[in-house]
Amino acid sequence: MLELKAVSKRFPGVQALDGVSLSFAPGEIHALVGENGAGKSTLIKIVTGLTSPDEGEIFFEGRRLRFQSYRDSLAEGIDVVSQEIQVIPESTIAENIMLDKLITRGKSGIIDWAAVNRVARKYLDMVGLPLPPDTVIKRLSAAQKQLVQIAKALAAEARVLLLDEPTSSLTEHEARTLFEILRSLRRRGVTIIFVSHKGEQVFALCDKVSVLRDGRLVGTRRIEGLPPPELVKMMIGRDIVQTRPAGPAAPPGREMLRAEGVVRKGRVEEASFSVRAGEILGFYGLVGAGRTELARVLIGEDSLDEGAVYVRGERAVIRSVADSLERYRIGYVTENRKEEGLLLQSPVRTNITITIWPRIVRRLTRAISRVKERTIARRMVDDLDIRVTGLDQKTEELSGGNQQKVCLSKWLAADCDTLIIDEPTVGVDVGAKEQIHRLIWDLARTRGKAVILISSDMPEVIKLSSRILVFRDRRIAGEVGGLDEGGKTYAEVSAEIGRFLN
Amino acid sequence: MTTHDRKGPGISGRTLGLAISTAILFAVLSLLSQSFLSGYTMFVVSRQMAFYVLIALSQAFCLVVGQMSLAVGAIGSLTTIVLGLGLETWGLPAPLAVLLALGFGVLAGAVNGWLITRLRIDSFIVTLSMMFIFMGLRSGISGGQPYRVPASFSFIGQKSLFGVPYVFLLVVLLLGLVGFMYRSTVFGRRMLATGGNAAAARLSGIATDRMVVWAHVLSGAFAALAAVLWASKLGSAAPETGDDWLIVSFAVAIIGGTGLTGGVISALGIFMGSAIFMLIKHGLVEVKANPYFANSFLGLLILLAIVVDRVREIYTEKPKGKASP
Repeated sequence: MLELKAVSKRFPGVQALDGVSLSFAPGEIHALVGENGAGKSTLIKIVTGLTSPDEGEIFFEGRRLRFQSYRDSLAEGIDVVSQEIQVIPESTIAENIMLDKLITRGKSGIIDWAAVNRVARKYLDMVGLPLPPDTVIKRLSAAQKQLVQIAKALAAEARVLLLDEPTSSLTEHEARTLFEILRSLRRRGVTIIFVSHKGEQVFALCDKVSVLRDGRLVGTRRIEGLPPPELVKMMIGRDIVQTRPAGPAAPPGREMLRAEGVVRKGRVEEASFSVRAGEILGFYGLVGAGRTELARVLIGEDSLDEGAVYVRGERAVIRSVADSLERYRIGYVTENRKEEGLLLQSPVRTNITITIWPRIVRRLTRAISRVKERTIARRMVDDLDIRVTGLDQKTEELSGGNQQKVCLSKWLAADCDTLIIDEPTVGVDVGAKEQIHRLIWDLARTRGKAVILISSDMPEVIKLSSRILVFRDRRIAGEVGGLDEGGKTYAEVSAEIGRFLN
Repeated sequence: MTTHDRKGPGISGRTLGLAISTAILFAVLSLLSQSFLSGYTMFVVSRQMAFYVLIALSQAFCLVVGQMSLAVGAIGSLTTIVLGLGLETWGLPAPLAVLLALGFGVLAGAVNGWLITRLRIDSFIVTLSMMFIFMGLRSGISGGQPYRVPASFSFIGQKSLFGVPYVFLLVVLLLGLVGFMYRSTVFGRRMLATGGNAAAARLSGIATDRMVVWAHVLSGAFAALAAVLWASKLGSAAPETGDDWLIVSFAVAIIGGTGLTGGVISALGIFMGSAIFMLIKHGLVEVKANPYFANSFLGLLILLAIVVDRVREIYTEKPKGKASP
């Protein structure tokens, strides 16, 4: 039995966990669900020793645990299979599985590869991965890597297995295989914690479910006899009547961006669509389904192999983000704020004005005008209600939601009239999420921008979009329209989307 | 003078620390040696300092965009040969020979930058190979013999204005321009952004590859300029010019607070970094330290600069968690 007692954890600007008490029993698959920012990842980090709680205690089989590091939790038999797949890409499958217990010839220190491969094979069979153990990891698909991670956990005789969004990069079939493995582990008495935000999977697989919201435990229920809408209500704290933001929805204007048969080999197949001013076009699908991949082709970050792109009706050749910004006024808000969106060490003002420096140089000295830079940054901060201590505050210090607003603001400062916004609310808390939704809505509906909203958050996409393109296996599988006209319920729209996914 | 993009106006803690260190060293040396404050010593020290600034800048241009150049000294060395060939072998007029030499530096930098960005090879590998290629060429071409330069050529390297060496004046001017470039121009800010986070910069519409090429071009140009001025100072174009530049370039740039992972530079810092470096070298001579150990002192000095920086970082860091939940 793994027990958490009144665990709390605070990060700057966010109470990530607030007095959470939970217990996980052996031989049970226990789902842990919640929206982005609900505290799931923090809980995992605490259980695996990656971070320590500010308050509260953890007990495992009656003993109090005090983890100093990840290794400590491994030693207790607690293992995690995470969404950011942690394998050593240049090593073989066997080496990854056996990394901490490589078999040597006697005490010579020389590795007995034959024996290592033999043992690794046993675990590969258990997870149903029919590959030679000496295959190099980097040749594997994401799903296969995930199976290798599970095999590794098995080899470590894990007694608690945490799976953090394990199906996010798996196909239906692969997910079913994974579920079979998890069920057999359950029979062997392993405690399984299954972190997910996908309701269907929780119902198909788990015995119990605990719901987190805003860092607090909403409750724990047995899956048997739990009506699905009840679970969703627990997760989002209200009935799922997705209210679209109020305000005028002017009819869409002229066509701003059109793609015809865009192909990037192995990433995007035959993508055709168009988006008009004042419209929010949703791109819904799983990670890797081709949404971000298409966006990167559109803005010139990746080249296109076939097809054509038209901006305001004219054929456009976009070779770089610089082209897309300066010649076509298309902005792209990246999905990874920290890695690709921001200069974290630089002040907020730098991140806001980075796109417009050439426009605010003084003619004589060729120096960027400090005054103009600050004026524009100040206007954006006020406009988007970005919470900062000052324009010179390090961007790193802002909360997720405010960082996201900074990412958006640089394209607004540059006067872009077409915006591609990729997963805008990942890792931002609920309040900021509402604000960002409101902001995106206003950008399209009152300021007449053409917006492409990439999201794997179905409520978000349904709430904001005028039309939704559903992506599956690198293609646009279908379009769900008529959302502006009203008359369609959330359930109807999600059912329509679901049909394109299967 | 502001330092770099990361802070607002005003002098950063690092720069202040450098200023204090410089002042202390200066005071200690004045007490230690009667001749230190003499006009002659000041002339020699300030001139040498100017060379350190040029060499450090040559490295810092690359560091700022998240690169490095191991070819700084080698470019300087081969530039000296080009200059010598121009002046002695081909008998070109001095301005033309200098132009040719500087042009070589620019070209060498451009080639480095081109290889790095076009073929996507690491700057370490590219500049390491170029270093050896250039070193081999300079030995092969020169046979180790120095080239003669006309007496008039030595004016800028050996003369002074009211006791201040021309080289020093020139370098202070250049350093001011470089500081202005990073602080206020689109070009400079874009270089800083490239080094701060290349992906974010590129996805914000900055042609980061072009920035990298330019950084190497500037690096080559400054190495070449240092070589030309060195020949002027020596009164001959000596092939061994640049042999100790690699270590000096890193040492002064690092002491001066240039970020090793990119995105941070301070012109004032580099100025004081070179002063500190110069004063310590001078001090070692004054205390009659065994010159055979000189390199060990340099190594220790670099390490010390980094450690001091790290320690301050740890102490000024606010306690904070990693990623959000």
